[in-house]
Amino acid sequence: MADVISTEGLSHAYGSVVALHDVTLSVPQGRIGLVGANGAGKSTLIRILIGILRPTRGAAQVFGLDSKKSEIEIRSRIGYMPEADCLPLDQTAADFLYYAATLAGLPPHAARQRSSDVLGLVGLDEERFRQLGGFSTGMKQRAKLAQAIVHDPDLVFLDEPTAGLDPEGREGMLELIDRFSGFDIDVVVSSHVLGDIERTCDWVIMLDEGNVIRSGPLAAHVDVDTVQVEPLSRLEDVAGALASRGADVESDGSAIAVTMADGDPYLLVRDVLAELGVGIRRLGPKETTLEDVFLAADAAR
Amino acid sequence: MTSPGTDSAQTGAVYDLGYVPYDGERTGRRGAIRSTIRDGMQRVMGIRRRARKKVIPWILVTLAVVPAIVFVGLSFLLSSFAPGTENPYGSHADYFALTASIVMLFSALAAPEELIPDRREGVLAIYSSRPMRADDYVWARASALGLIVLGFLLAPQVLMYVGFAALSPNGFWSGLTESADQIPRIIAAGVVYVLALTPVALLIAAFASRKTVASGVYVAVMWLTIPVSFALSQLTEVPGARYASLLSIYGLPEHVRDWIFDVRPGTTAPAGAGVEPWISLTVIVIVAIASFSAVIWRYRRLM
Repeated sequence: MADVISTEGLSHAYGSVVALHDVTLSVPQGRIGLVGANGAGKSTLIRILIGILRPTRGAAQVFGLDSKKSEIEIRSRIGYMPEADCLPLDQTAADFLYYAATLAGLPPHAARQRSSDVLGLVGLDEERFRQLGGFSTGMKQRAKLAQAIVHDPDLVFLDEPTAGLDPEGREGMLELIDRFSGFDIDVVVSSHVLGDIERTCDWVIMLDEGNVIRSGPLAAHVDVDTVQVEPLSRLEDVAGALASRGADVESDGSAIAVTMADGDPYLLVRDVLAELGVGIRRLGPKETTLEDVFLAADAAR
Repeated sequence: MTSPGTDSAQTGAVYDLGYVPYDGERTGRRGAIRSTIRDGMQRVMGIRRRARKKVIPWILVTLAVVPAIVFVGLSFLLSSFAPGTENPYGSHADYFALTASIVMLFSALAAPEELIPDRREGVLAIYSSRPMRADDYVWARASALGLIVLGFLLAPQVLMYVGFAALSPNGFWSGLTESADQIPRIIAAGVVYVLALTPVALLIAAFASRKTVASGVYVAVMWLTIPVSFALSQLTEVPGARYASLLSIYGLPEHVRDWIFDVRPGTTAPAGAGVEPWISLTVIVIVAIASFSAVIWRYRRLM
């Protein structure tokens, strides 16, 4: 699969504040999650990739095109949903979307057709003749998403698409993003909500204070061969017995995470519990969330 | 059981086409610029906007055009009741003086409308993701304003030109050709007014955070520099004081207009101070270039 985004030694500073530090990435097509706390450098990276910002050092490529030299070509093929407000409040949704489509280079007739289709797609077809200034936060987010895809881009950047949404609105937005793979549109979703990334992406880039702490397939981040057991009693005895037989054991006070370099951890847990005569509340694979991975990677730095 | 024939006649199907990819023509940067110009022109005239956005621009258009209609009407009456009398309403040069203040007020309102909402509402981020650069955006917005203001200036002139031609005793077509030498002068004077009045309005709008502030500052700059430049140019004991008359941007296009139409210089400060019209034209061009460059500089930092 061809790389859709690649960077080499990319750095950017706002005066003395370093936003990105020596970022080197190679990201394939698909649904890409960009995670990190506020101020981690996510928006800066996106703005460099679409040519709004010039990196202080290094280079970035989108579709193999240099972001500094070919921003017009890149922008002809991408869509961008900014985190901040970006809607003209005195226009109707239909007029704005038509304008957004013509701005992306679609001829008037096609722009009219596409804007109508995409408003339906994002669930705003009933609101098409309402002024954007009267929209709720959820509707504004949908309108922002609509302008990002109205011209059928090859790649769309979504910066904090669920920001400010209530649970229902968030669910709706994530469902829409989930459908993008069926549209043959690659997506970069930037979010500090790790659950959103887990839900929608198949590749994740973790940023912390301008540094990439991990970049790879989501499955590689969360599939850890760890078993978690919750004994009904004698938790410390069980943990000690497991450790004495060569398992890596980690206890959080109510459950024990068991990992073995060699051998089946389920069999070992079974044997130890049988020997000690201890019952269990739960035994199964440890559910490693992206948050666990992020915190572990951050701690390792 | 329903027969197959009845079935096909009475049933239908709803197809969810879902997302339909677009593989048609894309006009790229050229299309983006053209679209921005069209939006800019619609925006300042309140087209596809709420009714209250249309009120002021269309009142100003009416104020600019109605006198031309009245002049043609009066000329018609004059030619009907006193044939052979020289038409006192036919000066294209004078009509520019009549519309200049309306155009200045229009520029005061239109330039902030072109630039400030996009900045305040964050819409610049959308332009930044489209196939255009900051320079393209500024050029497009300036072109939209310039074209509207030029239309504002030339529409009543065209109305007068055609109206007087229709009243010509030698017939319409002869009337059109008799005054053909006025056409390039009308266009040139219109361009000079646009160059003098709009770049400064854009400059102020590029840095002001609110539309009312930008409009107020622009009108103040245009009007307050008139007495100031006049007073300074009267300090005859100071060498070169007459060039202070050039400080009033608002008076400069009128000075150049008299030169273009080859009429006796009016009461503008530069004419009164004995400054050559080409110097006024040079100042107009320099101020326009400087203002436009500053707007570009500003937007390269924003987009």
